Amino acid sequence: MFYRPKIRIEDFEAAAMPHLADLYRSASLLLSNSAEAEDLVQEVYLEALKSFHRFELGTNCRAWLFKILFHRLHHLRRRLMKASKLEAFASPAEQERLMAEPPVPQVIQDEDILLALKKLPFDFREVLLLADVEEFSYKEIANNLKIPLGTVMSRLSRGRKLLRTELFQVAREYGIGSESKEPRKGESA
Amino acid sequence: MNVLDFNSKHCERIRGQLDAYLSNELLVETTGEVLKHLETCESCSLALDSRTRVREALRKAVATQLPPEGLGRAIHERLRNVQPGYFRQFRSTNWVLALAALALVIFAGAVGQQWLRVRRGRRLVSSILLLGVSDHLHCAIKGHNYPEAANPPDILRAKLGPTYEGLLQIVESKLPGFQVLEAHICTVPGSPRKYVHFIARGRGTILSVILTKREGESLPVGRLLAAKVAGGATLYKARLEGMDVAGFESKGYFGFVVSDLGENEVTHIATGLAPALRKALNGEIKNRPSGAPALLVLHALVPLPMTTQHL
Repeated sequence: MFYRPKIRIEDFEAAAMPHLADLYRSASLLLSNSAEAEDLVQEVYLEALKSFHRFELGTNCRAWLFKILFHRLHHLRRRLMKASKLEAFASPAEQERLMAEPPVPQVIQDEDILLALKKLPFDFREVLLLADVEEFSYKEIANNLKIPLGTVMSRLSRGRKLLRTELFQVAREYGIGSESKEPRKGESA
Repeated sequence: MNVLDFNSKHCERIRGQLDAYLSNELLVETTGEVLKHLETCESCSLALDSRTRVREALRKAVATQLPPEGLGRAIHERLRNVQPGYFRQFRSTNWVLALAALALVIFAGAVGQQWLRVRRGRRLVSSILLLGVSDHLHCAIKGHNYPEAANPPDILRAKLGPTYEGLLQIVESKLPGFQVLEAHICTVPGSPRKYVHFIARGRGTILSVILTKREGESLPVGRLLAAKVAGGATLYKARLEGMDVAGFESKGYFGFVVSDLGENEVTHIATGLAPALRKALNGEIKNRPSGAPALLVLHALVPLPMTTQHL
C-alpha cells in the first residue's frame, strides 16, 4: 500500500522526451497561440512525472502522454468555454457546407492547409490530428477523448470533408489554382 | 471504360467507407469489397485519391511545426527543480498514511480487546447472577417454599441458624413494603452450593434476597459491566430466565435480589439492601478472630443466641 518505486528522472526523460515534438505540434494546432501550447506541454510533462510510478516501462509512453495532454486540454477548454462560450460543434452553416463533396486544389501549400485546419471547429480538429497526423487508432482516440467510437468516426469523416472545403476556400482566396480532378455528379470515370 | 452513375447506391456506400478505409479501420472483408469497387470506379478512386493527398499534405505541413528550441531545455530544468518537491511530498504522504494506518490498527485492536473483555465480563456476570435466579425459581417460585402467613421471627432465626440469624433484621428493615414470609438455608438440585434465602412478599409479587459463598469466584470489575455503585457496593444487574436480578459481592459472599418487579425496581431495592448486608458480611470476616466461627461477628452486630450452623 505504501510502496512507491523510486523514480529516476533519467528513466522518465528517456521514455517521455522523444515525444516532445508530437505533443507540441498537437498542442499548438489546437490552441490559439504557441505560448499557450508551450505552457500546456510543460504542464503535461510535470504531471506525467508525478504519475510516472503508475506507468509501466516498455508500454506505449506516447499514447499515455497524449492522454494526459488531451485531459489537460479539455480541462483548459472547459474553462475557456465557460468564459467565452466557445463553439463546441459545427454551426448550421458548416453543416450545410459538409453536405457537398468539395474539390481539392491540385497543389496544396503547407500554409494553406494549416490555415484551413485552424478554421475547423475544435472537436473536428483534434480528431483529425490524432487520426491523420499522429496515427492513433479509432479505439485509442475514443479512449483519449472519452467519446464513443461512433463519434470518433463521424467527427473524422466530417472533419476531413470540412478540411477539404476550407482548403478549397483558402486556395481560392490566395489565388492558387483550384483545379480539381474530382469528377462532378454523373461524370464518367 | 465503365460509365458509372455517381448516385448509384453502391458508390454512395463505398464513399461512406472511404474514411475508415483510409484509416485502415475496415474489416478485411469490407476492405476487399472497397478495393474491388475502386478497381472499376474512377469516380470513387479519384475521391480516395483526393482524400489521401489532403491527408499527406496535412502530415507534411504539421511536421513543419517544430517546438521552440528552448522548450526541451525548459522542461528539463522544470523537471529537475520540481522533482525534490514531489519526492518530499511522496515521502511525507507515505509517512502520514503509515502513521494513520498504525494508529487505526492500534485503536481497532484496543477497541476489539475491550469489546472481548466486556463480552467475557458480561458472560461471567450472567453466570454468577444466574445462581441467585436459579435458587429463586427453584425454591420460591416452583417449590413455593413459603407459608401464606409469615413465620414468626423466632422460627425464621432458628431456621437460619446462629451464623445468619442476625441478617433477618437487616433484610426486614431494608425491605419497606415487603413482609418476610420465610428464611432458611436451601440448595438447588445438582449442586452442593448452599443458599441463605429470604422470601418476602409485597407489591403484588414474591421477592428473594439470597446469599451464597463466593468460593473463589468474583464478579468482574469494569465500568461497562456494573450497573451502579451504592454505599461502596458495586451492583450488577441482568434479566435472566424471565426474572430481574441485581447482585453484589462482599469479601466472602455473593448477594442477590431477585424478583419480577422490573429491572429498575429490583436495582433500587438492592441499592438500599446491599450496603447494609455487605457491611455485616464483611464485618464477619474482618472481625472474626483467627479460628473462631463466623457467628461471633454477626452476633456482635445483631446480638442473638449462638449456634454453630454454617453454610
